[in-house]
Amino acid sequence: MSQKKKRILEIIPGALSWGSIITLIMLSILMPITAAIIIIVFDFYWIIRTLYLTTLLLMAHRKLSRQKNKDWLADCQNLGKDWSNIHHLIIFPVYKEGLDILRPSIEAIKKCHYPKDKIILVLAFEERNKNSQQNAAVMEAEFKNEFFGQISTFHPDGIPGETRTKGANATWAAKKAYAFLATKGVKYENVVVSCFDADTCVEKEYFGCLTYHFLTTSNPHQASYQPIPVYNNNIWYAPSFARLVEISSSFCQMIESMRLEKFVTFSSHSMSFKTLVDIGYWPVNMISDDSVVYWKAFLYYKGNYRVVPLYITVSMDVAYSSNIFKTVMMQYKQKRRWAWGVENFPFLISGFLQDREISLLTKIRRGYHLLESHVTWAIWAIVLTLIAPFPILFGGRIFTEMSIGYNLPKITGLLLNFTFGASLIWIILSRFTLPKRPADVKWIKNVVMVVEWAIVPFIILILGSTPALDAQTRLLLGKYMEFIPTEKSRKL
Amino acid sequence: MLSEQRIRAILFYLSVLIFFIGLPFILSFALGYKFDPRSLKFTKTGIIVLKTQPQGASVYLNGKLLNEKTPLTVNELLPGTYNIKIDLEDYYSWLADIDVERGKVARFEKIMLFPLRANVKQLNKERLSTFWADTDEKVIYYINQDDSAIYTSDFEGERYRRLANLMPIAPPAIKFKLSENKEKLLYFNKHQVAISGLGNHLKEKTPEETPFILNYPEDAIIEAFWHSDNYHLIIVTNRRIEVVEARPQAEPVEIAVLNKKNPSIFYDTNTDTLYFTDFQKAADGNFYNNLYKLEINSKSSILRDIIKIKPAEQRQLQDKD
Repeated sequence: MSQKKKRILEIIPGALSWGSIITLIMLSILMPITAAIIIIVFDFYWIIRTLYLTTLLLMAHRKLSRQKNKDWLADCQNLGKDWSNIHHLIIFPVYKEGLDILRPSIEAIKKCHYPKDKIILVLAFEERNKNSQQNAAVMEAEFKNEFFGQISTFHPDGIPGETRTKGANATWAAKKAYAFLATKGVKYENVVVSCFDADTCVEKEYFGCLTYHFLTTSNPHQASYQPIPVYNNNIWYAPSFARLVEISSSFCQMIESMRLEKFVTFSSHSMSFKTLVDIGYWPVNMISDDSVVYWKAFLYYKGNYRVVPLYITVSMDVAYSSNIFKTVMMQYKQKRRWAWGVENFPFLISGFLQDREISLLTKIRRGYHLLESHVTWAIWAIVLTLIAPFPILFGGRIFTEMSIGYNLPKITGLLLNFTFGASLIWIILSRFTLPKRPADVKWIKNVVMVVEWAIVPFIILILGSTPALDAQTRLLLGKYMEFIPTEKSRKL
Repeated sequence: MLSEQRIRAILFYLSVLIFFIGLPFILSFALGYKFDPRSLKFTKTGIIVLKTQPQGASVYLNGKLLNEKTPLTVNELLPGTYNIKIDLEDYYSWLADIDVERGKVARFEKIMLFPLRANVKQLNKERLSTFWADTDEKVIYYINQDDSAIYTSDFEGERYRRLANLMPIAPPAIKFKLSENKEKLLYFNKHQVAISGLGNHLKEKTPEETPFILNYPEDAIIEAFWHSDNYHLIIVTNRRIEVVEARPQAEPVEIAVLNKKNPSIFYDTNTDTLYFTDFQKAADGNFYNNLYKLEINSKSSILRDIIKIKPAEQRQLQDKD
C-alpha cells in the first residue's frame, strides 16, 4: 500500500473525531436548535447503550462468579482427549520492571494447578537495560528446575525494521523459544503461547482453563484466548483515582467478552503458538501489539479467527505514583497508549484492501466496529460533559426562550442521572471483584472504596476521551507515538 | 434455555427498539410538540414557567387548580392566552394573562408575593429623630436629637443600647455622618458642624473624643464629609470648599471658592476625591456650569500643605524622639 493511502487511513479516525467535535461546537453557535437535537439524540443513545452494556457486565460477572474456583484440570481429564502433549509457553516481556514485579508473577505460575513439566517459561529481557543479565541470573537461579524449561532472552536494540516496542521484544523471545522447543522435541502446534505483562499474576486454574478451551474450541488454532484482566495486585494500596480507572477498565473488558463479534485481544492473553509463528509473530514496529496480533491472525485466516473469552482473571498492577498529579499523568499516558490501538485501523483496512477472500460484509462490519469504537471513545465524554451546555451558552436569549432551550438541560440532566444510576451497579460489582483486604489496610478503606465513586465525573472529564483524542490527533498529524511502558512498582 | 449470545442479541435489538421508539417522544417533548392520540398528530405547544417568592403557591390555569405548586413548569400548552392566578394563604394573589407561543417559553421567574398584613416591626426603643443603617457592620444607628444621643442595635432591633451623647446644636442637625473607622460622628445644620466621639458615653473622654462645634455664621453649610484619615473634614458651603481638622479651634483652609450657591457634590471616600459643579467664566465672557474634580489625598499638593500630623501620630513621633 502506498504511503499516501496509509496516511489517508491514519487521518480518518482523528478527522472524524475532531470533525464531530468542531461541527457540534459550530452548530451550537450558529444553529443551536440543531446542536441541541443532536446532543439529545446522543444523550439518549448513550443512556440506552449504558444500560445495555451494564446488563452485559452483569451477565459477564455472573459467568465469572460461576466459574470461579472451578477445577478446570479435572474437566480436561474428563474430556476423554489426550492433553498430555499440550505445552504452555509463557513469555514475560520485561523492560524496566524490577524483580519485585516479576517474581510474584512467576510464583503465581509455580502455584498453578497444572503440571509444571508442561510449562516453558521465557523471560524476555531488553538488552539495553543494564540490569537484565543480572536479573535473569537471579530468576534462573530461583526457579531452576521448576518448569519443563526456562530460558532468558535478551532482545538487542536497533534491529532494522523494529521500533522499541514490547512486540519486538516478545517476537525475539518467541523466535528463541521456537528454537528451544525444537531442541526439546516439542511440536509447535501443541504449544499454547501466553504473552503476559511482567506484573501479570495468573489464577491457579488459569492453564487448566486455557487447556480446556483449547481442546474444546473448534479450530483451536484460529482463536485467541482472552482472560479477564483485573488490577488486584495492589488495588487496596492504590489511590482512588487510579483504582477507579482500572476497575472501569476491567469492567469494559468484561463487557467486551460478551460481544464476541467485536471482541479483540487486550493486554495479557494466549493463543496457538503455531498461529503466532505462521502469522510472523507479533508486530515489531507497532505499540498496540496485543490487538494487532489478533488482526494479523484475522487477516491470515481470512476472517475466520476469533477471540474466545476465558472467564478467569489475570491480575495486574494498578498504575500509580507517589502523588496525585503523577498518578493522573501516568494513567493518562497509559490510556493514551491503549488508545493508540487506533493504529489498528489503517493496519486492518490496508489488510482488507489487499485481501480478496474475506467477504465485503465482514470487512465493512469489522472496519466499522473498529472505527466507531475509537471515534466514540474520543468524543463521548467531551460531548456529554463539555459540549452539552454549549447551545445554552452560545444560543443566546432567543434559544433559551424556546421550548428546546428550556428543556435541553432538563432532559440531559435526567438522562445522565440514569447513567449514574447504572454506575451504582458498577459500584456493587466492584465490591465483588475485590480481593480480600490485606491485614495492614484499615477497615475504613471499605467505605472509601464506595464513596470514591463520587469522583467518577471528574475522571470522565480527564480520562474519558482526551487520551483517545490525543492519540488520534498524533496519528492524524503523523506524529507517531513511541512505546512508553507504564512504570510499575509494588510499594510506593 | 436461551444461550448467552441469544440473550445478548435480544437485549441488543430491544435496546435498538427502545431507542427508536423513545427518541421521537423525547425529541417532540424537547421541541415542545404534543402528541394528540385522537388525531394522531403532533402539535407544537408552548411552556409557562412560574417561580414565586415565597414558593409553594397554588396555581390556577384558566380557573383550574393545578396539582403542583410553585416553582412550576406548565408544559404542552397550545398557543393562546392563559389566565394565571397564583394564590398563597395570607398573601395577595398574583394575576396575569400570559400569551403562549408555539415552541416558546413564557418565563415568569421573579414573581414576588406580598403578605396581606405587612410584617412591620418597631425597632427603636427610644424617641427617634433619624437613623441610618451600616450594612457592613450590620448595625442601625438611631439619633434622638431631643435628648442628644445616638443609639445602636442590630438589624432586628436587638442589642439596642445608647452609644454616645451628642453635643446639641440648634436648629437640629440635618445630616449625620460616621467617620470611616466608626469612631466619630459628624453632624451639621446650616451654620454649625458638630463632632462627637462614639466611645462609651459613660467613660471619661480623651481630648480627641471631646465633642466640639465649628461655627459658620457667614456661610450656609451644604455638605460635609469625613476624609478617609478619619481626622480631616471637607466642608462645602454656599461660598467655598474648606478642609479642617476635626479638633476644637482648628483653622479651616479654603481650597476652592464657589460661584454657584447650590453646587452638586459627590465625595469618593475610596480615593478622597471631591466632584462638584460650579459656574466659571469662559473666554466668551459667559458663565457656564462645569463639573470639577478635586483630589484631597496625600498625593495632592493641596493636602500636603493642609493635612497636619494627627495628635496621635504626633505623640508617636515624640515617643520615638
